[in-house]
Amino acid sequence: MSRILVKATITAISGLGIMLLGGCEPGHKQTSQNGYRGAGLNQIVDARHVVPAAVIPPEAYALPPDGGPLAGQSYQNLKVLGGISKDRFDHLMANINQWVAPPAAGCTYCHNPANMASDEKYTKVVARQMLLMTQTINSQWSPHVKQTGVTCYTCHRGNAVPVNKWANAVGAPNPDSITGNRYGQNAPNADVGYASLPSNGFAEYLNGAKNIRLAADTALPSKDHVVSVKDAEKTYGLMVHLSTALGVNCTYCHNTQSFRAWNLSRPQRATAWYGIRMVRDINQHHIGILQSVFPDYRKGPLGDPYKVNCTTCHQGQAKPLGGVSMIAQAPALKGPTPAAPTVVAVPAAPSAPLALNDAPALLARK
Amino acid sequence: MARYQNLFTQVQLRGPLEAGPPLRDSTFQRSGKGFYNYWLGKLGAAQVGPVYLGTLGMASLLCAFLAFEIIGLNMAASVNWNPVQFVRQLPWLALEPPGPEWGFTPFVPLAKGGWWIIAGFFMTSSLLLWWLRTYRRARALGMGTHVAWAFAAGIFLIITLGFIRPMLMGSWAEAVPFGIFPHLDWTAAFSIRYGNLFYNPFHCLSIVFLYGSTLLFAMHGATILAVGRYGGEREIEQITDRGTASERAALFWRWTMGFNATMESIHRWAWWFAVLTPLTGGIGILLTGTVVDNWYLWAVTHHYAPGYPGTGVIDPATLPGAPK
Amino acid sequence: MALLSFERKYRVRGGTLIGGDLFDFWVGPFYVGFFGVTTAISALLGTLLIFYAASLGPTWNPWLISIAPPDISYGLRLAPLRDGGFWQIITIMAIIAFVSWALREVEICRKLGIGYHVPFAYGFAIFAYVSLEVIRPFLLGAWGFGFPYGIFSHLDWVSNTGYQYLHFHYNPAHMIAVSFFFVTGGALAFHGALVLSSVNPAPGEAVKSPEYEDAFFRDTIGYSVGTLGIHRLGLFLALSAGFWSAICIIISGPLWTRGWPEWWTWWLNLPIWS
Repeated sequence: MSRILVKATITAISGLGIMLLGGCEPGHKQTSQNGYRGAGLNQIVDARHVVPAAVIPPEAYALPPDGGPLAGQSYQNLKVLGGISKDRFDHLMANINQWVAPPAAGCTYCHNPANMASDEKYTKVVARQMLLMTQTINSQWSPHVKQTGVTCYTCHRGNAVPVNKWANAVGAPNPDSITGNRYGQNAPNADVGYASLPSNGFAEYLNGAKNIRLAADTALPSKDHVVSVKDAEKTYGLMVHLSTALGVNCTYCHNTQSFRAWNLSRPQRATAWYGIRMVRDINQHHIGILQSVFPDYRKGPLGDPYKVNCTTCHQGQAKPLGGVSMIAQAPALKGPTPAAPTVVAVPAAPSAPLALNDAPALLARK
Repeated sequence: MARYQNLFTQVQLRGPLEAGPPLRDSTFQRSGKGFYNYWLGKLGAAQVGPVYLGTLGMASLLCAFLAFEIIGLNMAASVNWNPVQFVRQLPWLALEPPGPEWGFTPFVPLAKGGWWIIAGFFMTSSLLLWWLRTYRRARALGMGTHVAWAFAAGIFLIITLGFIRPMLMGSWAEAVPFGIFPHLDWTAAFSIRYGNLFYNPFHCLSIVFLYGSTLLFAMHGATILAVGRYGGEREIEQITDRGTASERAALFWRWTMGFNATMESIHRWAWWFAVLTPLTGGIGILLTGTVVDNWYLWAVTHHYAPGYPGTGVIDPATLPGAPK
Repeated sequence: MALLSFERKYRVRGGTLIGGDLFDFWVGPFYVGFFGVTTAISALLGTLLIFYAASLGPTWNPWLISIAPPDISYGLRLAPLRDGGFWQIITIMAIIAFVSWALREVEICRKLGIGYHVPFAYGFAIFAYVSLEVIRPFLLGAWGFGFPYGIFSHLDWVSNTGYQYLHFHYNPAHMIAVSFFFVTGGALAFHGALVLSSVNPAPGEAVKSPEYEDAFFRDTIGYSVGTLGIHRLGLFLALSAGFWSAICIIISGPLWTRGWPEWWTWWLNLPIWS
């Protein structure tokens, strides 16, 4: 009797052990250090889980030289790209065919072949706004996209609709009842890395402009800084999304000695700061205004158009497409140089190390 | 070899079950006569029961049951009463306290955190009733009340987390949710919100006492087992009439680290280390948000936050022309 | 040196593992032995190196002194002294000191004719330390993954290493370890309190016997593990806390690199749910 019990116990324990190890990844690891030694500021990535280099599609044909007649003179109804040459315009259209349009549809995905100038297809209206958006990103959000820039392909990757997107989630059937009510959290959700953290942060932080900052800028409490622990959970959920989208961990940007302190953070944190504002700009000013243009089957369950988050472009890589720049293929997407740049603030290059236990300097900064 | 290490009981005795000394000033008698369990007897005593139920015990169990049911039913409701999903998602499920918009009012709609307040009330009642029970059971046997006061330290931490600090902060939303993963989320978010709890000196003390308690129990448990061949586990006899087990145990530590406790004082060390863990932890919780809002900055002010080479990165929000 | 009243009869020769009678003597209350000598040398050398390395650093503030391991670019090689070499030598000295201390405990056990439970238990603490500073760095291929020697800097290491897995509380071994720590604390409180409450009874009462201890816990929770059992239980709980702590950090990196919450998807994806 006891012998059977012992055997059953051993089997159960070893079975459990095998099952738990089954969730593990014993393979080769890639490591890197992003801060002072011994502070635990490292990235450790399982080699099998490194997102493979994206396939950059070959150009439809070589970029023609600039010059010749303008597109606006050659074609009707051009509102964004009228000022570039016809040759370059044709080249860009051929690229978009590869980057976005379903192969079966080709040009007709957006255009009426009988009247290419017509705006009758909603996809053409959306595409025009997206061209404007791409120009805005490249010209005004260089603190985030740097000189790498973005093209349609950064998000679309050959799909008519980018794979990674979000829309407002369906809440509880009756918000005043506990039945079926998750209060936007406490459910395994991939958007927050399967933690039970709140996963409803996209609407507030990436469409709205809710304050993400949690820790106070003074050591002692102040009436000007009232932030609930529940807000902290929301920010935490959002930051898990950022990390997962980029395939990195918290220490890629932060020294968690103080999540808040900027001079402990890497320049990547400032890049991300601009990225969050860029995403808000995209969602509010380029996608939100297309609310009436999108057909219902291109909208989320609550009738709002699908919006972008960090995964839309990054797709598991710290730099989308592994940092490969495709903007040279489509110089028109660099956009018009704005007369008065609205974003001039570029994070300062790391200056001489400032000892942080230099308390007066730090406190003076608040 | 293994049989001499006193890790498991080799020979179990069987005879009349111990009924226990007579109880004084007690309303009820002990329930049942108890029974033997062979596997428990391998590690410790084989006898299970009898138990004294009593008014306080039954009231406490009733409150605990109510709290448990309220929490469980709220969790089940959140998955639309689906039993399979209830089990599958159980670690993620929670009963959350009211949101910050409710402040500290006791009148919150049930679905907006009211159930949390009620569950917390019954859990607290259960703990306090059980505390009284530990006190009364000790007195009914003519013993000291050390167990009750140690238990009180733990209750203090729980009530601090769920009631006293939220009251001081004027917000139920500061309290801990009921739930396996969700309470861990709260813990991490709490540290991030208040600027890194590792820089809270009372958190440091609490961890020191927690690790210290573990170290002490390993040292004490191991010492007593090591002198088990001399009857070292008969601690009360060794305290009142020192024998060779006590002497060898004391000399082991004296020769090892130059200092030894006595058979009684080791239990005072143990009691204080264990009790100071939740006491200092609770003080650390009480000070967070009420007296100190950012522990890292507080540490910088008081010169105990190590410095690292600055990265020179500036808050982009402070730069001219920054986007909102 | 003052001996305890009963100490003289226990101070006998023999029981050493190495060195015969050579180091079989006491200094004050301390037993020496061969391993006492190696403990003293390695501990002294390690401590002096900490002070010397600190003297080269920017501060004498005890909260801020930190001696950090090398950059991970050094891999498993030796680093220059000021770039982590001090940390490497201090770590070696610490391990020699800890192991010597454990072996010295074995000698004392032999001399006193008692079981080896204490050095065995201490082995778990050494294992936890070695896991952090040797096993995990070795598995990850660089000493730079060890924690720095500093009161608060090692907490920064803990914090940053935890956030490498986005939310370390979801590490299953960490959950088990923390649970064991809490249960150990509770069990220690109850054991200490129970003994004290027996020998410090209510006013006017006689000291109580173990029968009363058993009766108190049976009355309260229906079971008393007994005088011998509580020490077995306590030792098991305490060692489990240390053991699972070591496991929880060894698996973080070598066996899992993503957020710990994501690890739990194996549970969500079990075939039994559909």
